[in-house]
Formats: sequence, C-alpha cells, structure tokens
Amino acid sequence: MTPRKPFLDALVALLTPRDVLVSCLGANARWLPHMQVAAPVFALCDSMGAAIPLALGIALTRPDRHVVALEGDGSLLMSPNVLATVAAARPTNLTSILWVNGHYESSGGQALPGAPVDWPALVRASGIAHVTTVETPAAMAPALAAARRAAAPALLVVPIAFDAGEEIPPYSEKPEEIRARFRL
Amino acid sequence: MTLVASVPDTWIGKLMATVRGSRTIRALDVAREEEAVAIACGANLAGGRGAVLIQNAGLLNCGGILAGLVELYRLPCFFIVSLRGDHRDPIHYHVPKGRVTVATLEAWRLPHAIADRAGDLAAQVRRGVAQAEESRGPYVLLISGEDLA
Repeated sequence: MTPRKPFLDALVALLTPRDVLVSCLGANARWLPHMQVAAPVFALCDSMGAAIPLALGIALTRPDRHVVALEGDGSLLMSPNVLATVAAARPTNLTSILWVNGHYESSGGQALPGAPVDWPALVRASGIAHVTTVETPAAMAPALAAARRAAAPALLVVPIAFDAGEEIPPYSEKPEEIRARFRL
Repeated sequence: MTLVASVPDTWIGKLMATVRGSRTIRALDVAREEEAVAIACGANLAGGRGAVLIQNAGLLNCGGILAGLVELYRLPCFFIVSLRGDHRDPIHYHVPKGRVTVATLEAWRLPHAIADRAGDLAAQVRRGVAQAEESRGPYVLLISGEDLA
C-alpha cells in the first residue's frame, strides 16, 4: 500500500485556480503550505469532521467552483452523518477525498476502533452514488476527472499506508492567516 | 441570509417553513448541528451569508466546533436557537436543557440575547447578524415558541 504523500502530490497537481481545496486537520494541512497549490486552500488544524460540511457550504454558495474536501477516516467515523447531509443537498461541484489508514495520526497514531468499516458501502448506503476507490497515485487523475463529470456529489476512497515514522512538517500557518488568504 | 442550515425543532418549524418558501435563501436540512455550523461558515467564507437554526440541545453539542472552527478562525456565524426548557416551555423533559443553556453560553463566552417578542424581532435578527459579522464570531439569538407563534 502506498503512503499518503504521493497521492496528495498527484491530487494537488490536478487542481486549478478555479477549484477550491478544504483540508482536514493533520498531515494534509501540515503538508499543503509546503506545496504549490493552484487552488485557494482552507486548512483546518482542529475540528475533526468539519472539512466536508465546510466544503459543502462553499460548494452550495459558489456553484461555479469545484470544491475538493480532504477528510480522514477517523474524522468521518466521528461524524458519518455528513454523508447523508451531502447526499440530500446534492451539490454538483463537491468531491470528497477520504484517506483511509485506520489511525488517528494527529493524536499519536492510535488505531481507530477495530471494526472493518466498508467505506465505499457506507458512502453508497448514505446516498452518495459516485464512489471510487483510488488504489494508486496514477489513478487519481481519471478518478478526479470522473468525479468532476459526475454532476453529483462524489467521494474518492483512498487507502493509504500508515507510517508512524513519516516526517510531517509542523503547522506553519496561523488560522487567521489561512482565513485572510482564502479568497474566491 | 443566503443559506440556512437547520436541524428541526417544533419551535423553529414555522420559521424554517418560511425559509423554505424563500426564493433567495437556500434551506438546508442537516443531520447534526455541528455540520450546520461548518456549512454556515463555509457559506460565509464563500461570500454568502450562512445561518444556523437549531434547538438548544444541538447548540450544547457544538462546543468543539465553536472553539475549533468559529472562534479559532474568527468566522462570523449567526444562530437562531430555540430555548427549550425555559419557563414558557410546557414539556417537562426539556427543563434540564433550559436550566443550563444561558449559563453555557456565558461560560463559552458566546455573545447572545433572548429575543424580546414585544419588540421588533426582525431588527433583533439584523443586529445579531451585524454583530457576528463585525466581531467575526458567533452570535446566538435565543427564541421561545411563543415568539414565532
């Protein structure tokens, strides 16, 4: 299984200035300031579970932009209700990307409750029909392109290897700086 | 407002029904109150005007996201919250929530007011929205069932 960073690199390379990226807390939010991202970024450093609903509010307000939300399996397990909310709201411009590594990486690498959650099945059962599992970084491009064409809420499940030794940079931006720079 | 995210309550049903009839406001039914807060904040970040319409039980769920999103990033977020369990509420099982709601708002340092139905309710809403925007933070207007009867 591939670690997160090559997937994140592949995703970021596909974004354009017309997209919007909303990141959950943790490794994604910590890597992004060190990457060239063409799209405006709003990165969380707290509030597990807020990335997808925050992105939904942006997507509904700006239907002319495609909004990509990054969320972790630990965060979504805490608030899977958002899947039904997204399905009911039916945004045509929202793609959620779910990193699945079975661990609460930010809090020290503890394992999630040991249930073998079938994420694609849970997402579909919640009413989001466009679900794709992205197995390799090279598969990110066709998966995101299909999500953009779906004209319905889409979710990409990305299984990634958990690496307790990954050297993730620390948070390098203050929340107010992130908010101030976020302009659509 | 351009978007109102809501979890239902009997006391806010009539208001949400009015929102649903609006041509300019997107009424959004959500499954849990923390989502409503994030959705409203997203709408505000994107240039719209989002609000949250929930019961006080749901507001009591929102401590984490108020601290970790609304306060931390200094985002405007206007709430209308039904104050179940106050002295006007005939239903006994709401009483424990009514007992702690205002004290919790004060402990969380959330600017708030209890709607005065003898006054101009629309003006009270406008003041709350303006305060949320000017302070870049939350503002909670507490209402009773009688206010919108």
